[in-house]
Amino acid sequence: MKDSLKLVTKFSGHPDSRCWYVAWNPNGTLLASSGGDRAIRIWGREGDAWVCKSVLQDGHQRTVRKVAWSPCGTYLASASFDATTCIWRKKEDDFESLTTLEGHENEVKCVAWAPSGSLLATCSRDKSVWVWEVDEEEEYECVSVVNSHTQDVKHVVWHPTQELLASASYDNAVKLYHEDDDDWVCLTTLEGHESTVWSLAFDQSGGRLASCSDDRTVRIWKEYRPGNEQGVVCNGTDPTWKCICTLSGYHTRTIYDISWCHLTGAIATACGDDAIRVFEEESSSDPHQPTFSLMGHVAKAHAQDVNCVAWNPKEAGLLASCSDDGEIGIWSYQSQA
Amino acid sequence: MASHFSGVLQLTDLDDFITPSQECVKPVKVEKKRGKSVAKIKIEDDGSYFQVNQDGGLQKLEKAKITLNDCLACSGCITSAESVLITQQSHEELYRALEHNKQMGAPQKVVVVSVSPQSRASLAAHFNLSSSDTARRLTSFFKNLGVHHVFDTSFSRTFSLLESQKEFVERFSRQEQDRTALPMLTSACPGWICYAEKTHGDFVIPYISTTRSPQQVMGSLVKDYFASQQGLSPEQIYHVTVMPCYDKKLEASRPDFYISTSETREVDCVITSGEVLKMLEKEGVSLGDVDPAPLDTMFSSVSGDELLRHAGGGSGGYLQHVFTHAARELFGEEVKELTYKTLKNRDFQEVTLERDGAVLLRFALAYGFRNIQNLVQKLKRGKSPYHFVEVMACPSG
Repeated sequence: MKDSLKLVTKFSGHPDSRCWYVAWNPNGTLLASSGGDRAIRIWGREGDAWVCKSVLQDGHQRTVRKVAWSPCGTYLASASFDATTCIWRKKEDDFESLTTLEGHENEVKCVAWAPSGSLLATCSRDKSVWVWEVDEEEEYECVSVVNSHTQDVKHVVWHPTQELLASASYDNAVKLYHEDDDDWVCLTTLEGHESTVWSLAFDQSGGRLASCSDDRTVRIWKEYRPGNEQGVVCNGTDPTWKCICTLSGYHTRTIYDISWCHLTGAIATACGDDAIRVFEEESSSDPHQPTFSLMGHVAKAHAQDVNCVAWNPKEAGLLASCSDDGEIGIWSYQSQA
Repeated sequence: MASHFSGVLQLTDLDDFITPSQECVKPVKVEKKRGKSVAKIKIEDDGSYFQVNQDGGLQKLEKAKITLNDCLACSGCITSAESVLITQQSHEELYRALEHNKQMGAPQKVVVVSVSPQSRASLAAHFNLSSSDTARRLTSFFKNLGVHHVFDTSFSRTFSLLESQKEFVERFSRQEQDRTALPMLTSACPGWICYAEKTHGDFVIPYISTTRSPQQVMGSLVKDYFASQQGLSPEQIYHVTVMPCYDKKLEASRPDFYISTSETREVDCVITSGEVLKMLEKEGVSLGDVDPAPLDTMFSSVSGDELLRHAGGGSGGYLQHVFTHAARELFGEEVKELTYKTLKNRDFQEVTLERDGAVLLRFALAYGFRNIQNLVQKLKRGKSPYHFVEVMACPSG
């Protein structure tokens, strides 16, 4: 495990502020970061250095909590505590603000694009999850407002290939949604975490979902379809998501973010104890009762809470992180399994 | 306690128990005593508050009273505190008024109940009775409890619809001079109005129809016209409406509908169809077992013994009436049947009047929160193509 996770570089992303989130564009060449300074910055590699390619300002009045790239890489969505979501369009090397989605009652906590790129999900402290649809004229319309959670909704993420949405909340639950008739409905609720669920990540196939929580555990959930050989009970034609693994005892504080590498299968976590950890599934373990081992650990990865970790979608082992200290870290992970 | 308000009100933090009074903008008026800059307050075991005077004496402090009106001016904490509603508007309160009349021997107040056609219809469906039969049995049920008059709000609905038609034609004719003349947005759904006022305020209000809802037309008729006919002053009447929606309670308690000269509301109490069921349960009767009584005719849309019906949706038929009227008045077109085109979802439909390929009128129904959202956002971006929108907070209207 020693030195499996190495620092490539670290730079100040949002000086004198917190850096809340980092997101790679789909081809892995650009990194977008958002922070408490109300700005979004776009970073690109030039030789060994990471340079700021553009700064997206004046879109938001308050903290920009999260950013998300559209699957085509042309659009960037930003979720802000000012209750709005901004859509930006990449134009050559710069970005222009295309539209602002209003409607949430207060802080928007997360935004995510569906794999098709025609649907967008947002969630907020107002406890609701919204699904938006974009048409050919780049007009966004709200197609659904789902009030399933009883508390602040922290995170939304789409299945990598299907129109299946997952959300995580302060009410300790994870919920899954799909379209039914002409509205979006909660399909199932995953209960098990004993405190706020902060983030979620699907694996490459979408058959498994990892969640991380204030209860200092990571849980792995697996989809079981009706008629499965393992005899997991399903309700009608709906699949059941069962918790097949809980990683506890590794994290000493809240786990704020989790990233599941779609190239290698490694799971990275961002923790309030300032550390970044990497877990890998043991190749010999039972897929219905897998064992994940801690394979990488940098105790003082940042000077303060690590808010986010993100695997590069094209370059295996390249990991970005960001922290309350305003810095962005780029790491290289070498599997020793 | 679960909230009975419509989804829109719940979403807008109006019943947020978690962040109590965080955004309360209506501080309670406190009768200040002069001369003390610092006061100590002691809380007794029973929860009452005492101010500790400088000489050590204790003085009990007044309890703060926050009414539904205060809450309506706020998006803070306590709108959903059901106790506020229950004490002001519930079937319990109706019983109290009736009980009071009985105890005093001679009636203190003339009790009038106005039943909405939607409530009549849902009770009719519940008991598998015809609409007119339901009306006669309800009349009998309420009168046995001591209610003096039972009216039907279809009558005031006619007023409301006629007024809406007139308002639309007037707004249409001044659309060139006044950017906010169109689209005209209906005002009959209190959930939508509450949401619009709180979250979009000055921007949306100019578009909203100034026409009173059937409930409040009825309120005005009962406390003004009917009262003077009976030789009564407004406060001598206790007026109860039976409505399909909890949010109507909010509408009735708005300061707009308070007659300050006689210190009374146009509608004193709103009970829902569900509460009527509870009353029937409490009395231990089924509506089917109640002997029918003749309908009160003074105000009801009664022709012979049958109640008249309005065309259009269960949400009041505003779109249908205004559309037909506007087509005739503005373009000389007789519209016999409206063709509703479903847009994004079944709660968002459109009706157009076309001549030679040109759209003369474009009306829409927008029900439920998501469609209200899209409507408001389109309005804000100047992209709403509509002349008139019937807006209701609840999905399906």
